[in-house]
Amino acid sequence: MQPDIGMRPRRAANLRTATILLSIAAVFFGGIIVAQYSDAPEVAIGVLGLAVLGFLVISIGRNVGRRGRR
Amino acid sequence: MSSIPHDHAAGHEHAHEHHPGGIMRWIMTTNHKDIGTLYLWFSFIMFIAGGSMAMLIRAELFQPGLQLVEPEFFNQLNTVHGLIMIFGAIMPAAVGFANWQVPMMIGAPDMAFGRLNNWSFWLLPFAGLLLLGSFLSPGGAPSAGWTLYPPLSVQTGMGMDMTIFAVHIMGASSIMGSINIITTILNMRAPGMTLMKMPLFVWTWLITAYLLIAVMPVLAGSVTMLLTDRHFGTSFFNAAGGGDPVLFQHVFWFFGHPEVYIMILPAFGIVSTVIPAFARKPLFGYASMVYATASIAILSFLVWAHHMFTVGMPAAGQLFFMYATMLIAVPTGVKVFNWLATMWKGSMTFETPMLFAIGFIFLFTMGGFTGLVLAIVPVDISLHDTYYVVAHFHYVLVAGSLFAFFAGIYYWLPKWTGRMYDETLGKWHFWLSFIFFNVTFFPMHFLGLAGMPRRVPDYATQFTDWNVVASIGAFGFGLSQFLLLVAVLKTIRSGAPAPARPWDGADTLEWTLPSPAPYHTFETPPVVK
Repeated sequence: MQPDIGMRPRRAANLRTATILLSIAAVFFGGIIVAQYSDAPEVAIGVLGLAVLGFLVISIGRNVGRRGRR
Repeated sequence: MSSIPHDHAAGHEHAHEHHPGGIMRWIMTTNHKDIGTLYLWFSFIMFIAGGSMAMLIRAELFQPGLQLVEPEFFNQLNTVHGLIMIFGAIMPAAVGFANWQVPMMIGAPDMAFGRLNNWSFWLLPFAGLLLLGSFLSPGGAPSAGWTLYPPLSVQTGMGMDMTIFAVHIMGASSIMGSINIITTILNMRAPGMTLMKMPLFVWTWLITAYLLIAVMPVLAGSVTMLLTDRHFGTSFFNAAGGGDPVLFQHVFWFFGHPEVYIMILPAFGIVSTVIPAFARKPLFGYASMVYATASIAILSFLVWAHHMFTVGMPAAGQLFFMYATMLIAVPTGVKVFNWLATMWKGSMTFETPMLFAIGFIFLFTMGGFTGLVLAIVPVDISLHDTYYVVAHFHYVLVAGSLFAFFAGIYYWLPKWTGRMYDETLGKWHFWLSFIFFNVTFFPMHFLGLAGMPRRVPDYATQFTDWNVVASIGAFGFGLSQFLLLVAVLKTIRSGAPAPARPWDGADTLEWTLPSPAPYHTFETPPVVK
């Protein structure tokens, strides 16, 4: 999250951020298909929908309004 | 945000112009400016391709009866026009702006992942070729509409497989691009550039990128299930095998409605950058603009079923989705209010970018208002799949996204090329686009209210007059767009040299760089105070 002037720490931070985001995308992609195979697909797809919404609320919410961080 | 005082000495005086030449420069490039240029040219080519299809559609609808094309081909044109314009023109244009502007606006030397950036772009031409090439496949291009609803999409020919593959590729490109943009914004801002000091364009793209990460996998998953229904014996959406076609609609619109905001939020960002520059005032209510953008993004996930009122759902569901849809008008209204308040008592001048920005506000607000009309369940049930809906979403996406992108092109062209565009040509482009856009799409409200269904090549004779008007407007609007091409080429070839900051009120970091912006910028980060 924190911008860093040093190249190596920045590279590591970039890779970490990218890995997290890619993992989230992969879970959503797999989740929408796997949900159809559960005993209660309506519930499973609802949970996935809430997870997508939760991701958005958390990811945007933790950035909005931050004034002090560089 | 307002003005950003910073250390002018840092950053670009040691920048050098070394870069490979020839075609390999564009194929191998990892430079954000080159890749931004590639995205923008690609989107223009797709815009012309999708626009040509629109011209053919309007030519067919010029008179009742079948004139030029067979009904099946008409459906294919409608489908591919929608897909090309959304995935090939508007989204890549927005990414092009992000590539050019985000690093320069936050004081970063480049995007976080240069090679990923290159790959994100170079996937797109192949996806575009697949989409356009589907016309040549046995059975022709997909004809199920851009929404790809089953059962039609399960039953049609090989063109649908090509389209599904294209959607997969474009989805992968979008996800990679989004990861790059989020990482760049979060990790590579210049010292002192706090999140709440970022230009609003960067904010809107940060939120757009989160939206893309959230919904593109959902679309990719649903079209994958469509593919397995077509070829691998599954029955996710195939009612004959026990599947549920309505499930696809739910999943599709869970992607589809946020997609509307994916296309419009970067446009909001451009307009929020252009208006303060030409009103010579800081953006009114910066923080509220950020909160409104975030609210719109989150609410966009709670309204998908308003596209499906006619499918059938409990009254409680209808009420929820109706009111949730209306709720989006609140943060959107905050934005429109803030743009108007920014202009209020400003020292305004009306160069081409400002004209397009004001045109955007006027026409987008109209499109938003008809969206509110359509949110009302009984009205929507009456107007569903009529030309009223076609008018609504073209007011939002053409006069909305496209006009804002035009504003952005004219605004940043001096920085990109180092030359000023021809103001007269730009103003002709604006006025002809503005007039012909309304001539094309305003009558569609009347046609829809009178009951003319969309996606039909033939219609009852009482709809003739307004269809003639709409078609004439469409030809005029289409031809007007070549003025943009002429204006851009003329700027590149013979425009007057542009100063570093050609607009009085422009105060974001990119205007501290010389024009054209050097190939490498901010290798030493500027210090934002």
